Amino acid sequence: MSQDAAPHAPTSTGIDHKKLIMWLFLASDCMFFGTLISTHLLYRKLYPTGFTDAAGHQQFIQNLFNIELTSFSTFILLMSSFLMALAVSAMHKGELKSFRRNVLGVIFFGLIFLGCQVYEFTHFFHQGLTIQNSVLGSTFYVLTGTHGTHVAIGILWLVLMYFYSFTGKLGGHVGALDVEVAGLYWHFVDIVWIIIFTAVYLVEYLGPSGIWGDGLPAVTK
Amino acid sequence: MSEAVLDPKTLAVETERYHHFITLALWLAAITGVEIVLIFLPVSPVVILTVLSLLSAIKFFAVILWFMHLIYDARLLFWLFFAGLALAFATFAAMIILFSVDRIDTKWFA
Amino acid sequence: MSHDTHHAPVASKLDLAPERSDLGFYRPDRTTGLFDWLTTVDHKKIGVLYGAFAMLYFLIGGVEALAIRTQLARPDQTIVTARMYNQLFTMHGTTMIFLGVMPLSAAFFNFLVPLQIGARDVAFPRLNAFSLWAFVFGAFVLNASWLFEFAHLAGWFDGFAWHQALVYTDFAPANGWFSYAPLSGTFGQANAALQAPRFTGVGTDFWIIGIQILGIASLAASFNFICTIINMRAKGMTMMRLPVFTWMTLFTSFLIILAFPAITVALIELMFDRQFGANFFNPSAGGQPVLWQHLFWIFGHPEVYILVLPAMGIVSEILPTFSGKALFGYPIIVFSGAVIAFLGFAVWSHHMFTTGLGPVPTAAFALLTMAIAVPTGVKIFNWMGTIWGGRVRFTPPMVLALGFIWMFMCGGFSGVMHSSAPADSQQQDSYFVIAHFHYVLLGGVLLGLMGGLYFWFPKIFGRMPNATVAYVASGLVILGFNLAFGPMHYLGLAGQPRRTHTYHAGNGWEDWNLVATIGAFILGIGVFTAFANLVWTAFKGKPCSSDPWDGRTLEWSLPSPVPEYNFAQSPVVATRDAFTEHKHGAKRISYEADGGEAGIHMPSQSWMPMLAAAGFLFIGFGMPMMSMGVPHAGWLVITGILVLFVGIWLWAVEGPGGYMLKTPSVAPAPAATPSVAPSAH
Repeated sequence: MSQDAAPHAPTSTGIDHKKLIMWLFLASDCMFFGTLISTHLLYRKLYPTGFTDAAGHQQFIQNLFNIELTSFSTFILLMSSFLMALAVSAMHKGELKSFRRNVLGVIFFGLIFLGCQVYEFTHFFHQGLTIQNSVLGSTFYVLTGTHGTHVAIGILWLVLMYFYSFTGKLGGHVGALDVEVAGLYWHFVDIVWIIIFTAVYLVEYLGPSGIWGDGLPAVTK
Repeated sequence: MSEAVLDPKTLAVETERYHHFITLALWLAAITGVEIVLIFLPVSPVVILTVLSLLSAIKFFAVILWFMHLIYDARLLFWLFFAGLALAFATFAAMIILFSVDRIDTKWFA
Repeated sequence: MSHDTHHAPVASKLDLAPERSDLGFYRPDRTTGLFDWLTTVDHKKIGVLYGAFAMLYFLIGGVEALAIRTQLARPDQTIVTARMYNQLFTMHGTTMIFLGVMPLSAAFFNFLVPLQIGARDVAFPRLNAFSLWAFVFGAFVLNASWLFEFAHLAGWFDGFAWHQALVYTDFAPANGWFSYAPLSGTFGQANAALQAPRFTGVGTDFWIIGIQILGIASLAASFNFICTIINMRAKGMTMMRLPVFTWMTLFTSFLIILAFPAITVALIELMFDRQFGANFFNPSAGGQPVLWQHLFWIFGHPEVYILVLPAMGIVSEILPTFSGKALFGYPIIVFSGAVIAFLGFAVWSHHMFTTGLGPVPTAAFALLTMAIAVPTGVKIFNWMGTIWGGRVRFTPPMVLALGFIWMFMCGGFSGVMHSSAPADSQQQDSYFVIAHFHYVLLGGVLLGLMGGLYFWFPKIFGRMPNATVAYVASGLVILGFNLAFGPMHYLGLAGQPRRTHTYHAGNGWEDWNLVATIGAFILGIGVFTAFANLVWTAFKGKPCSSDPWDGRTLEWSLPSPVPEYNFAQSPVVATRDAFTEHKHGAKRISYEADGGEAGIHMPSQSWMPMLAAAGFLFIGFGMPMMSMGVPHAGWLVITGILVLFVGIWLWAVEGPGGYMLKTPSVAPAPAATPSVAPSAH
């Protein structure tokens, strides 16, 4: 039976339709982020020297990075993932209040993460890294911005779900399933960040010009 | 009206998972801390990169298997997701190899 | 309160009492006529709509092709300008691929897959409707570029300030269906983001946003179909008992969900280059235009298998039916389909042999391309094995399916010739390539899809197309297409380049170009005849029985046209080709005790999928208008995003609804023998 017909109906595999379709979507999203991350990394490979900053000097992006801030936002996102897992668990147990608390926590931490991203972008922009002035700026902002957009959509979804939980219609097997599916999306956004954190931020610290570099000084004008 | 799922078996399962989640969250935070310390160590970049990749992979699969429940769910879901992941990784590897020209002279546009 | 309905079962949806959704609006379950079609979530109606639009766009793409061929019939003609010519081949390719073949395949997926697996609908009926409307609106956005172009050519925009400020005045895309950077991108930074200098005008933006919308439509549909095929099979319908068409639908859907992300990313990057001055493909800032080629073909090569696998599935249904034999080597045909899909991701750079990849990558991709010919060849041998020793009936679908085997093979031969990189260095960008892909797309995909139309039309509409007209149309199509594209093999090897709006006399190309043009017109007449006849048949054709061909799969066990609930009782199958064995006495289908007076659960119809998809109209026009410099066009895009999000939210909150529909309590007995003689004309 279709999803709309009877949510409890047996499926050929025993897996709920909504869960199956979300995992399919996540597989597809892997290809999506994979392509974006590939673009960023291959351009890093081609141009290890970075970009020209506002003062006209060649600049390594690691000099812009504030690794403490980024580590903090990474930690925040990880913790939001943890709270999401708790929210799903609470829903399975039918504990609506616990679910609401945890979801509120996820939303709050998600907003902190986005706030850190916005702060970081603004900081980089004032330091001279823009979408327009370099390939690095293009790939960095589009990649992390796309991830941020995914986070924002997730927050919107959770906010709507939070309010929906007050209508009394979120409950039972269907409610737990819906929350679990939202959770899957949120966790995925988190694991993409795990990869981005490593592949975009951390690797820039390996040697003066990152992992592709050979330690030679940057080209200066 | 929610049909509160309060049967003892589900409750026990969820409580056990709750403790797993806490443990996992602590480990994830710890691994992230290790990564941050690692990049400042005076070791060959290749070694650090390998370790970083490993640690990221551990975090990645830990979240998928436990937070996202895959270890408790049907195998099919794991393989469906893994197909997308493997293809993405293979495409990434191919692209990096194909763009194997390094250190393009930036004076023409920098 | 529960999302399920507690209504008493009704005999017809018109008997329902008006019901409000959780939003408070009336559910459109009791509508008829136009509103019924606009709010339908029935996979069969959605399939018909996909098919109707596809046929329309096939004809539009055909007109574009005939304009191209008319221009090229003689040397040095000026029937169309060079720019119009570029727009014609761009729109021809884009229309045929995204608005012709893919939707026609989607029509078959939609109509057939639930029937073939013994289900009552797809997993997510409203998502299915959303895919349809996203496609309709995306197709409209893409073709609206022509309207803008004609308006521009007629001088309607001359009085507007934004028009006078335009540097490039092309409104329809003109960069080819692959829209290579840096032509489609930018060069150098300008002061303000929205005035980043480009080589092309708004046409490229229409192309970008049009394809993006169509991509979302395809993705949504594919998620739905994978979920349906994996999760909604009738009892006893194991994966290895699925009809081959359903298997090919599954593989095609996997190809879509894994290949479209690459083009989505490429389009986002290109859009950022054009709209916001990014540098992904901007050579003067270090962008690598060849990256566009990689990203495009990482999508583009799986795309061609997306185009062909459904047709292969159709042929795999038609051949056994009209040979009176089971498909030879069913497991190996399924496995070959999987291998083709998998390898399809590994060969993309064979479109780039002349870009200087280096000897190792070139060799690797050449080898993999040759490898992919193997599973295709395996399929062909198995199809021949199916026909061999059978009692062959040369009905119109069978003629077309046989045509597929032969013509697709020819296309495959020229493809294998391309796989040799040294040979390809001469063939690249020549008419030889055009010959190759038209043989596989027309000789293969079109013949297969036409065969499918003739084969399943009686099931969809309960009316039989006239066989004589079908034979004549098929003959014209096959003759015309061979006349049109056969000579192009020679023309390509003799050096005629692609994508050039004219050529000079004296190269020895004139005569074969004229032949090709004549062939193209014959082909056009054939396709038009076939489509016109099919449309006429849908309304006024001769009624026929539910199983006029002595079919082998479950859909033939149902009445024609198929009732809205599909199966009166859910089937339970015991073997592959269960219907055939059941008809010939082996009793391989039984029925569950559902339906009847207790009714079965039908999903409610809804406006929300179409409403949400309407957001794409705003986005689709807003983004090009931003490029045109129309003031406040950005707000149109924002409005579109809002409409999309609000539509989805309403869709989520209205609740699935549903009602109970009574079905006849005794399953209609499948005919023991077909009631119309199989080879009757």
